[in-house]
Amino acid sequence: MLAIVVTGVGPASAMELAAAPDVAAPATWWLADVMSYVTAPFLLEGALIAIKIATLAMMAGAILGLGLALMRISSFAPLRAIAWLYIWFVRGTPQLLQLVFLFDALPPLGIKLDAFTTAVVGFALNEAAFSAEIIRGGILSVNRNQTIAAAALGMGPFLTLRRIILPQAMRALLPGIANDTIAVIKGTSIASVIFVNELTFRSQQVVGQNFEFFKVFTAAGIIYLAMTSVVAGVQALLERRFNLDIESGEKSDSALHRLLGFRFREAKRKPALPTAQPTAQVASVAVVSPPKPAWITNIAGVMGAGNGADREPFVVCRNIHKAYGYREVLRGIDLTVNRGEVVVIMGPSGSGKSTLLRLVNHLERLDWGEIKVNGEYVGYEKVAHTLKPKSNLARARAEARIGMVFQNFNLFDHLTAIENVIEAPIRVYGQDAKKARELGMNLLANVGLGYHANNLPHRLSGGQQQRVAIARALAISPRLMLFDEPTSALDPELVGEVLAVIRRLAEQGMTMMVVTHEVRFAREVADRVIFIDEGEIIEEGTPHEVLGFPKHDRTQRFLRFVERQTDVA
Amino acid sequence: MTQRNWITAAVLTCGLTAALAATATPASAMDQKCEPDKLAMKYPSLVGKKIKIAQDGESPPFSFRDPKDFNHIVGLDTELAEAVFACAGIPIEIVTGEWSGLLPSVIAGQADVMWDILYYTPERVKKVDFVTYLTAATGALVAKGNPKNIHSIDAVCGMRATAGLATVEEAAFRDIAAKCIAAGKPAVSIVTYPNIPGGTRLIQNDRADVLMSGLTLVNQLIANNPKSFELAYKIVTDYKIAAAVTKGNKELEQAIYDGLNVMIANGTYKRIVEKYGLDLSLARTPEILTE
Repeated sequence: MLAIVVTGVGPASAMELAAAPDVAAPATWWLADVMSYVTAPFLLEGALIAIKIATLAMMAGAILGLGLALMRISSFAPLRAIAWLYIWFVRGTPQLLQLVFLFDALPPLGIKLDAFTTAVVGFALNEAAFSAEIIRGGILSVNRNQTIAAAALGMGPFLTLRRIILPQAMRALLPGIANDTIAVIKGTSIASVIFVNELTFRSQQVVGQNFEFFKVFTAAGIIYLAMTSVVAGVQALLERRFNLDIESGEKSDSALHRLLGFRFREAKRKPALPTAQPTAQVASVAVVSPPKPAWITNIAGVMGAGNGADREPFVVCRNIHKAYGYREVLRGIDLTVNRGEVVVIMGPSGSGKSTLLRLVNHLERLDWGEIKVNGEYVGYEKVAHTLKPKSNLARARAEARIGMVFQNFNLFDHLTAIENVIEAPIRVYGQDAKKARELGMNLLANVGLGYHANNLPHRLSGGQQQRVAIARALAISPRLMLFDEPTSALDPELVGEVLAVIRRLAEQGMTMMVVTHEVRFAREVADRVIFIDEGEIIEEGTPHEVLGFPKHDRTQRFLRFVERQTDVA
Repeated sequence: MTQRNWITAAVLTCGLTAALAATATPASAMDQKCEPDKLAMKYPSLVGKKIKIAQDGESPPFSFRDPKDFNHIVGLDTELAEAVFACAGIPIEIVTGEWSGLLPSVIAGQADVMWDILYYTPERVKKVDFVTYLTAATGALVAKGNPKNIHSIDAVCGMRATAGLATVEEAAFRDIAAKCIAAGKPAVSIVTYPNIPGGTRLIQNDRADVLMSGLTLVNQLIANNPKSFELAYKIVTDYKIAAAVTKGNKELEQAIYDGLNVMIANGTYKRIVEKYGLDLSLARTPEILTE
């Protein structure tokens, strides 16, 4: 009851004054009086107190809210439960009572907060609950593919959150956070019950002394409007900043940007048409002297002589089992890929091909069996004859240097092509930014995208996006490349450009596992073809054997089907 | 009591009775003059302290913003508190908040004294100690012309009544409401207001028929707005207006008690009461009430 009555004080009372009788004086005088209240230091000081409380509470609340949001989506049930209970309780109880409790119930326990601190703490705790849900909503709005792509690059969970998830969630977050900021600025008026002399309470006191309700409350309303207008303005600026549809040109890499993955200040617009020139410095590398691609030197050091001639096993999978719930996806796969070998994996959809790739770089956890890449487990250690996942999985993935390319590209939507490419080298491998950029431009030039380095993914065609994704995977100097149906999401006329890049990579001797339905590509590029169905290897051998003279019914049926599809296309 | 009388009394007391008797009579009722420099001797526990006086700053003529300088609080309660603590040599700070939050803050020890037209009640004294200094009367405020023809509290049945949240007037309306129902009359619908301007707006905008508050305040409201309000009835109550002190703060209560006695003796009390337009008949001998 206390809550209902007191919270009704501020704006509501002002509203009911709309019909108040003391409006008889000439309008200009009246306005002059109102303006004298608007500029009265006494009221402005109250406004300043409201701003201070709201600013501090929003900052602390957003940080706490982020923590709560992460707890809410954690895989650890007790954390989820704690966060849920906190939010349930704080959102469900009147804030006035929370403030009075903090102010008046804690002193007997030896915690005596002053009025201002109580207000900041009270509003921050309250805001944490509300912003947690807004932030959680924002995080959930970001496509899960982004996280998978980051994981494949060896990015840890917090790096992914900070650099990939939050910048993209920002657009979904901003309206809600701005709402809350405004609500807190106005809501500070209820803190008058714990001696915070903010704007509403001060205007009430002035009214209590001179009874000029309408003028004083109008003045207070104008001051509130000015404060909330600033919030609305900042919101508009930030929304503009995070709007990917607004083109941005070449930007400087400030410290803040490196930290947050986005910029507050929008860079100068620059036409990013295909005709635009790449930066001068890069142009000299990529355009003037293209015949010596840096990525070859980049990867050559970790590769053997190439062309599958090397018989040294590089990827060794033994008796792999994987199930999702009760559905067995892989049922005892044994597979060896030699250094420099190109293995193409074919099979009907749902046969477990993609899962196999994801087990190799530990995007998914093995149920049974073991996989070694270059003689090492990826993110497992052997404890008493069983494999136990390591705690720092991201680091293990990074050390394994396995590049992965996805069916749906999974480029980071908020980063330009070049930024996509250099993200992992700089953040995960600690490469010098300038060097990484040079190498990145070189890689892009070599997949034919030197002119598109500063475009955001959504400005590129599917084939271009997939080539950026390949450049991104190559930028971490991979020792093994995994391609998961790299051309399946592409229009037929774009398939060729992507396959050409992969083919060149094979020629350079890169060890590769390629899941694809492109029979011709397999025939030309693969050293070995493996046919998987229902979680088992049905057939394997040279392309000539498997594709030319398949022994098994299922292989024959599948190849007939695929070839018919290709003909239609 | 003159100083000489006190000496006689003190000598007798010390000579004849135990310390028990000495504490029963306020030990320093004798301090009939201000001795701010003897703070350490008289109220040692208050040395170096700044006493927080809780007021709402929106209840004229007891506590309100100085029209000449909004940064100052003035009023009968404010000036009396200032005079009393200056007399004891104790610095004070006036902290302002919504009236309904003041008493809880004193109970919790966030403020030391609530000095803001607060009535002593048997319920409140369980939570705080009181030092009385005025007698209250209740006034009922209605719109000009008394459209509902209300001339006594018995006529309130079936009306829309308003009083400050958590005030004794609210309790009085609730009593009457119960009696109305018991007598088979229409019930009273009661609305509470958080501050007096809020209450008067209810009357002005015809959202309530009758408002009850301290008679002084009601009279002042009518004097300021003779075209809007008039007095319906007044009730001379035996309510004691008192300063509320956090329980267990004996020396603070004593300092207030002593100070009030000095102010009465030296005429300051009379000057302040009259300055803010109160009838001197409402003056009251200070008393420490505790439980």
